[in-house]
Amino acid sequence: MTEAGSPVVEMRNIKKSFAAVQALKGVDLALIRNEVLGLVGDNAAGKSTLMKVLSGAYIPDEGEILIDGAKVHVSSPLDARRLGIEMVYQDLALANNLDVTANIFLGREKVSAKLGPFRVLDNGHMEQEADRLLERLKIKIPSVRLLVERLSGGQRQSVAIARAMAFNSKVIIMDEPTAALSVATISQVLDLIRELKAQGASVIIISHRLEDIYSVGDRLIVMRLGRKVRDTPITGTLDEFRESVVAYMIGARDDFAPVSPAAAGQAGAL
Amino acid sequence: MISQPFRSALKDQARNVRDYGMYVALVLIIVIFEIWTKGVFLSSRNIGNLVTSTSYIAVLAIGMTLVIVIRHIDLSVGYLAGALGAVAGLSLEFWHIPLAAAIPLVLALGLLAGLLTGFLVAQMRIPAFVATLAGWLLYRGVLQLLTRSTGSIVIQNNTFNAIGNGFIPDIPHTGFLGGLHLVTLILGVLAIIFFVWHEINKRRNTVSFQFEVTPASIFLIRLGIGTLAIAGITYIFSGYKGLSWAAVILAVIVLFYAYVSTQTTIGRHIFAVGGNPEAAQLNGISIKKITFLVFGSMGFLTAVSGIMYASWLRSATTIAGQGQELDAIAAAFVGGVAVSGGVGRVTGSIIGALVIASLTNGMNLLGFDISIQYIVRALVLAAAVIFDVQTRRRK
Repeated sequence: MTEAGSPVVEMRNIKKSFAAVQALKGVDLALIRNEVLGLVGDNAAGKSTLMKVLSGAYIPDEGEILIDGAKVHVSSPLDARRLGIEMVYQDLALANNLDVTANIFLGREKVSAKLGPFRVLDNGHMEQEADRLLERLKIKIPSVRLLVERLSGGQRQSVAIARAMAFNSKVIIMDEPTAALSVATISQVLDLIRELKAQGASVIIISHRLEDIYSVGDRLIVMRLGRKVRDTPITGTLDEFRESVVAYMIGARDDFAPVSPAAAGQAGAL
Repeated sequence: MISQPFRSALKDQARNVRDYGMYVALVLIIVIFEIWTKGVFLSSRNIGNLVTSTSYIAVLAIGMTLVIVIRHIDLSVGYLAGALGAVAGLSLEFWHIPLAAAIPLVLALGLLAGLLTGFLVAQMRIPAFVATLAGWLLYRGVLQLLTRSTGSIVIQNNTFNAIGNGFIPDIPHTGFLGGLHLVTLILGVLAIIFFVWHEINKRRNTVSFQFEVTPASIFLIRLGIGTLAIAGITYIFSGYKGLSWAAVILAVIVLFYAYVSTQTTIGRHIFAVGGNPEAAQLNGISIKKITFLVFGSMGFLTAVSGIMYASWLRSATTIAGQGQELDAIAAAFVGGVAVSGGVGRVTGSIIGALVIASLTNGMNLLGFDISIQYIVRALVLAAAVIFDVQTRRRK
């Protein structure tokens, strides 16, 4: 076991181009164990691309990924999952026609017997585990046998997040976990993220909602045009936080400017 | 006085109205025709004929259910069944292939044809409607080509013809059960024992995992209705010549497909692909593999259906299979398969096939004009889908 305070994931000098567009221009990212890291940036800043690299959807042109200090190759979402990297997608990726249990175990079903090519589902144990998981995360859903199509938006998001927690994952990446939710349900999801942290998870959240990141995050990375421009613990009041983040997002400030430190200093004085 | 838990359980059950609606409709149709035909409809002989003449459509409907669940359609299965029936006829009557080789040959060709459709849909990404429309034309041509020099092929092989016309053997017996088919009765009793054991076991399992179960009263009612239904069917079958081979084949296929589609990972993955293909893919389920599998199974069942049909007619005709794909699709929709995919049951589609067959049979007994029969079937299909959409929307 690695000691606390060490990075669970490190991405070093990640570069990725799509045809002529350089989406990631050498990005470093470190996620400390049991930390909630916010990742923000304007559209086309590269934050989703960076997370797709980590979750195996894209293969980077350059750079390396380390998990618990060991170099790994992530060449598909299944690879990433085997390494303990779970992604909660913005569009949820739940099958509405299946029940809560079936969704949590989708693709990783527990099997009670093998009959030739057929593997028999162990529904009893899966339901029991799903039930315990929801209870542990304090998610309120009347029954794990409910079809997902009968759940509210917040409940669905909770199921999607619970699924990511179900298999001893090292890192959970959430892409806009609160974007499609009503104000009342957003706080439910934020509570759930706090609960994940309390139980030892390491989380990366991509979000446009700065107040959400402020309220649950420990640290923040701002990206702009394929580069990291800010990497800082979250401190101060919400207004100060928002003001400074926006300044970095629109390019008024840049902590990692490659040109001249003087220019960055000047921009910082604004 | 009805107890509180019983009432709330009834309310829960009301939500499953879509699932039960089809059974209620079937019972209603049976009761109405039974009264209207003054007892002819439920006679052993008529029910035997009804089941035999539905079985080849029901077999197609089972395959079609899974095809529609993964959001596709298969229009080619009617003529494919006809063409495969012709292959069976030619094998037996002209190519002098023994029955034990002819049937595996036909089944293998069916599987191959299904995998070809799967290849077009999964690998070449051709919409299933277009790919199987091409198949519809192709197999129609193949059927005509196969039967061009022979015309309709009369099949002389008695073993082959027994598939669609024969009955399971009986133990010679006399006494108070003299008029009844003993083996059928024994099978019926075994089916009841299995059903009761299965239900009790399921309930005990649920309790052991500390999940809620329906109250004992509802459970007993369901047990009672199920037992009565099996007993009734058994009694009717044993009154004539016993269980037909067609019914046995259908029952085996239904049990197998119902089990695989609800109790195994393959079934779970088929429904996941139908519900949300992207989600299934992200969770490591291969859509391609599932598509091949479902169309392969459709092809195999089409071969079974073609054999059953040719055997029933004791011949392979030049227009065999015509329109059967649409009958199978209608049966699936009446049986509660959702047009949008992801929802459907193998058992539901069998009930759907029986509903349509009962209507046709009853109207035939009453001497309804064929044109009226089509119109009634149209109304039933439309009503079933309207009912389906409405009950789903209320959720």
